[in-house]
Amino acid sequence: MSSRILLVEDDERIRTSMRLSLEDEGYDVEETESGEEALEAHARALIAQPFDLLVVDIMLPGMDGFDCCRELRRVSTVPIIMVTARTDTHDVVAGLEAGADDYVTKPFEPKELAARIRALLRRARATDGGPVSLVFGDLEIMPEAGVVRRDNEEVHLTRTEFLLLCELAANSGKVLSREQLLERVWSYDYFGDGRLVDVHVRRLRTKIERDASEPRHVLTVRGLGYKLAP
Amino acid sequence: MARAGATSSRRSDPGENHERSLADSRPGGNATTEPAGAATAPSLPPDEEPRRSGSPRRRRHLGLRARVTTTFALGALVLSGALASITYISVRSSIIDQQESSLTHEALGTAEALSGALRHPVANYATLLNDYATARNSESLLVRGPQSYPSSPLALNLSRLPKALRAMVRAGHLADQVVDESGSPVLIVGVPIKSARSEYFQLFTLGDISRTLHVLFASLLVAALVTTLGGAILGRWAASRALRPLHETAEAALSIAEGRLDTRLESDRYADLSVLTSAFNSMADELQTRIEREVRFTSDVNHELRSPLTTLATSLSVVQARRDELPERARQALDLLGAEVGRFRRLVDDLLEISRLDAGLGDWHTDEVALGALVRHTVAASPPPVFIDIQDAAEQRRVLVDKRRFERIVANLLENAERYAGGATRVTVETDDRWGRIAVEDRGPGIPPDERNRVFDRFSRGTSGRRRGTGEGTGLGLAIVAEHARQLGGHVYVEPNGACGSRFVIELPLLPAEEE
Repeated sequence: MSSRILLVEDDERIRTSMRLSLEDEGYDVEETESGEEALEAHARALIAQPFDLLVVDIMLPGMDGFDCCRELRRVSTVPIIMVTARTDTHDVVAGLEAGADDYVTKPFEPKELAARIRALLRRARATDGGPVSLVFGDLEIMPEAGVVRRDNEEVHLTRTEFLLLCELAANSGKVLSREQLLERVWSYDYFGDGRLVDVHVRRLRTKIERDASEPRHVLTVRGLGYKLAP
Repeated sequence: MARAGATSSRRSDPGENHERSLADSRPGGNATTEPAGAATAPSLPPDEEPRRSGSPRRRRHLGLRARVTTTFALGALVLSGALASITYISVRSSIIDQQESSLTHEALGTAEALSGALRHPVANYATLLNDYATARNSESLLVRGPQSYPSSPLALNLSRLPKALRAMVRAGHLADQVVDESGSPVLIVGVPIKSARSEYFQLFTLGDISRTLHVLFASLLVAALVTTLGGAILGRWAASRALRPLHETAEAALSIAEGRLDTRLESDRYADLSVLTSAFNSMADELQTRIEREVRFTSDVNHELRSPLTTLATSLSVVQARRDELPERARQALDLLGAEVGRFRRLVDDLLEISRLDAGLGDWHTDEVALGALVRHTVAASPPPVFIDIQDAAEQRRVLVDKRRFERIVANLLENAERYAGGATRVTVETDDRWGRIAVEDRGPGIPPDERNRVFDRFSRGTSGRRRGTGEGTGLGLAIVAEHARQLGGHVYVEPNGACGSRFVIELPLLPAEEE
């Protein structure tokens, strides 16, 4: 069955063209034109057939894309791609911090968006194989079950955060560079945006560390990358 | 006489002090600062201001400072010199006057005693004179009728007496005169002894006085020099102080130029300069407003252009997916549309990129990366493949760059070679201690020397061999390269690649080599 994508974009012409293009790629696309509508559609879909991925424009009337992401993240770990008209550090980082998994910048090549969607969806499913359980001090990671526990309490991570943690756990003690993480978690090449890694590491820390300002698990190795320590 | 020396040098002290206090009060006393200011200030703007742009900034400050310092020092020198001279002259004459009267008195006493002795027959005049004239450093001469009797054979004789003095005494007057005898002053006192129809002359050597005066002269000279030095130091200090607000203004201007648009001067710090300060601050306000407006405009244009372009590109892709279903003529039109949308998109991207570079707005994320891997990845990202030649030493040297920015630079250079020179033939990487050089070589027609700098200008497509190609270029590619390179702390230039073709070289600063 084809993946279901919710498209949140206020410009009707862009929305329609994106729907046409994504349908050509074989996705089942639903359109909404505001953040509020998107939340409703998402909630409605949860009952019958939840969305596999959301594409959210940042510049929306009323509730903007950032708020929309934040609201969605309160109830869901669904992958979100943010569409921004600007590449300002501020916009990109704010979007990632609001909970987006990845971003594209207008005007994007339709191929580029399709590639990002494919990578995210593949990731969403690719959580099988490997050991059943990995223990790092007070952390227990179960890659197959998609569950992380801290002191036996479940921690809710988005899929990207979860994959990032699994990737670090699978290479425990080794330093992974930003480029390696971008490639393995986001399927980016050498030129991926390192901020994706930084922001997700920051968000991961707030969830799994006792004190995010003094991390004990996800450690920064200056100039090289990140590693996971017990 | 030793006392006299002490006295005279003590007398010179008040003069010195007086002078120092004058020098100290100078910054307040406008009498001396005014001319200095008037002399230097008007000449500053015309001959100094326009030429100064970069490094000689410090020299301008030194220039003004040196001039003020010199003026102060000269002022101090003239004043202290004048005071020292007056002091010396008055002290000298007063010491000599004093000596004159006391020595005259002594000579009178001796003459009086002699007049008693001369009533009796005299056996030996020299002995007599030596008995009576007991003062040190003196010689005497008694003239009695046609005879003259010196106190010793080598002592004073008639020929050494000034004629005027002799005449005065002969006429029966007491007289004295200071005579310069072979460089040292002597005082000759003549006393008529009427009872014995004689004239008595006594010569006093004023050697002690002259030593005293020498000491005085030396002290005054030293005092004048010290005062001059003090004036110079004071002038330097005053100039530095006066230049401080100027310096602060220059710093603020530089800070604004470097992009810190909210830099302002403290408005109430220097009361005299409030006009300058407020003018500067309002200029900075205006500049900030304008730049912010421009940035907002760029961002708006950015958004307004990106939305339709997104629709265009996305819709086009939908049609392109059905290209095979279209009739031949529609297919041709679609290909044209596709090419032009692509070019339009690149143009918008380039224009926005260069305007963002101009506004100093970078969405850049710098990383420390190894040069070898960076170049390999970058070249691989822009097909077709090109032969890469990386010097061994360069492989692991690290640079601090934004990888996507670097990719833009190299992609633009490769694209440029593709468009105008039939493609790049080789990419080389070399390093020295401080710089990494990445060169993109081609075997095209080359660029004439007079066009080599202009190729980095905006919308410059050259004149001769450099044609507009297939119409794909935006004319901004190399300008963007130059600007990116500059903002990464490096630069770009083009040189001939041997006999034919060009070599575009990017020079980037290296991070210090890692120790093994």
